Amino acid sequence: MNTQAWLLLLEGAWTTLWLCGIAIGIGVVLGLVIALIRLAKVPFVEQLLVLYISLARATPLVTLVLFLFLSAPVFGINMNRNTAAIVAMTLNTAAFNAEIWRAAFLSFSRDQREAALACGMTGGVFFRRIMLPQMITTSLPGLVNEMSFLIKGSPAVAVIGIVDLTRVTNRISAVTYDPLPPILAAAVLYMLIIGVLLKLQGLAERKANRLAM
Amino acid sequence: MTEWTILWEARALFLDGLLATLGLFALSILCAFVLGCAWVFLLEERNRLSIVVRGWINLMRTLPFLILAYLLYYGLPELGLRMSAWTAGLLALVIYHAAYFAEILRGSRLVLPEGYIEAAKAHGFTPLRLYLRITLPQLLIKTRPLLGNQLIIALKDTAFLTIITVQELTAAANSVQSTYFIPTQAFVVVIVMYWLISICLELALKRAGRFGARRGFDHV
Amino acid sequence: MSEPSIAIPAVSIRKLSKSFDGVEVLRDIDLVVNKGEVVSVLGSSGSGKSTMLRCINWLEEPDRGSIHIAGQRIGINEQTRRKMTSKELAMLRARTGMVFQGFNLWPHLNVIQNVMESPIYVKRMPKDQARAIAVELLEKVGLADKHEAYPFTLSGGQKQRVAIARALAMSPEVILFDEPTSALDPERVGEVLQVMKNLSSEGYTMIVVTHEMEFARAVSDQVVFLDKGRIIEKAPPSKFFSNPDTERVRRFLEITA
Repeated sequence: MNTQAWLLLLEGAWTTLWLCGIAIGIGVVLGLVIALIRLAKVPFVEQLLVLYISLARATPLVTLVLFLFLSAPVFGINMNRNTAAIVAMTLNTAAFNAEIWRAAFLSFSRDQREAALACGMTGGVFFRRIMLPQMITTSLPGLVNEMSFLIKGSPAVAVIGIVDLTRVTNRISAVTYDPLPPILAAAVLYMLIIGVLLKLQGLAERKANRLAM
Repeated sequence: MTEWTILWEARALFLDGLLATLGLFALSILCAFVLGCAWVFLLEERNRLSIVVRGWINLMRTLPFLILAYLLYYGLPELGLRMSAWTAGLLALVIYHAAYFAEILRGSRLVLPEGYIEAAKAHGFTPLRLYLRITLPQLLIKTRPLLGNQLIIALKDTAFLTIITVQELTAAANSVQSTYFIPTQAFVVVIVMYWLISICLELALKRAGRFGARRGFDHV
Repeated sequence: MSEPSIAIPAVSIRKLSKSFDGVEVLRDIDLVVNKGEVVSVLGSSGSGKSTMLRCINWLEEPDRGSIHIAGQRIGINEQTRRKMTSKELAMLRARTGMVFQGFNLWPHLNVIQNVMESPIYVKRMPKDQARAIAVELLEKVGLADKHEAYPFTLSGGQKQRVAIARALAMSPEVILFDEPTSALDPERVGEVLQVMKNLSSEGYTMIVVTHEMEFARAVSDQVVFLDKGRIIEKAPPSKFFSNPDTERVRRFLEITA
């Protein structure tokens, strides 16, 4: 593989990274918001959110990306490829993140809340200073795990023509007629990216275990 | 003709896609399951083979599924191994998910109380019989929720095979929408189908959970 | 208690030694257990009693020494002089039985399945034959009405009695008991000891690591005392409990009296 091929490959990697990065960034926060709203148990909203989570977790990313990209024009929304990809990935990862956050909230001990209220803290202060920091530590392993799953699922965006790290190998082999090297190189790059994430997940798990609620 | 009538007209396409997806899913998870259990058995010994298996499992956990499918479908022909998209897809599904099944079982094996194994050893169980009769049943009961999760992931991974031209359910939706220009409806139908399949899977797994609950296993 | 026969000993241990992480846990253990004998192994915690027992069926691998079960050496293949393969070990272990402190009943099988499991899957016994044996043994240990129960529903004493039936199902040359009553509530200890007493009068060869002095005194043919990895006294109960040779044993008996 010559330099040009490598450059294309790195471009593909960059596409994957920035698309996933945005989806992860929004998805983690969105998941938290959804989990919090679900804690409030608002009647109609709760059912809607449960439905969304159930559907989003059952729908393949490929299908979702295609669906959004092809259906948006019908509703008058002009979505370019990248936007469709980001929206699809965000909707997908937010649903999983919502469940991860929710599990952390539900397993939080009531005793800490009672102790906080007993010394005069308001619910808000308790949440901000005591609950949320611990929630973040507990949820982090699951969230990082989901991040690596998103990156592993990101090749789905190739289906709408985005030249990500996977699709770029088609591009390269169309010129070189040599498909194996770029695929192997892409595999190595994915291994590096996800390997780093898995290491971070390990660190997060150790920190969460020390919290040992 | 309303859009929904068109959908009904196109039902053959959807059905073909659905059958292809179900076929790929069922066949692949069956093979992946057997393969995964076999790999975990190989991990019971501490030898060179187990190191290779361990390395392979870890490798699969760092790769996207589609890259493996690409490797088998686009990459292998260069080495002289040509196969249909369906075969490449099936093989990729089997190898990939076998690794994930193995990892799930391995995690549970690490925390399985050694006493059960020792009692079996003390009574003369050979390694294979010990694994099949004593170790594996307990691992399966304990990891049922995680295995179930992995099944749903395997179902969704079949959709990736659209990209390597396998005519499964998502490809069917794409086909219908490009022929009849009803993207929303076509995909809604298909998304609902995926959703229904996964709900059926979850119900089946819940029933399977009773097997463990009856024997006193918690959190199954 | 029964007359030991003069034939190949059930278990023969010679110069057994073992270290864990550089700490010597067993030192030059010599012990012969004849067929039909009941041997109690006493000693304080950390004296190496459990390790010695677990070496007999090679659950622990000794560093030095030899162990023979009914005349056959375990752990090392006498013909090839190489370490025994898992299969060879399994074949020899099938001739021993073990009862563990933590019972170790297989949780996914019910009581009668637990007892039938080894005869069927190790000895390749037909299912009906195994079932008949299991029914008889469960009757013997007083659990005839618990065939279909799963282990998690049983009390500790019941679990241990099932474990004993399970060990008996293989018609072993020797039954190894690793502190069988130490994990039981005091009220449950009696029912298990009674079963073990019955076994001893039926002529089973038993090696029992225990803290139960009364049991050792009433039932053993030999009492063996381990201290810091060595056997420092080996005597019949009549001598051991009333007039031991070593000072260490005297102190032990005083403290535990």
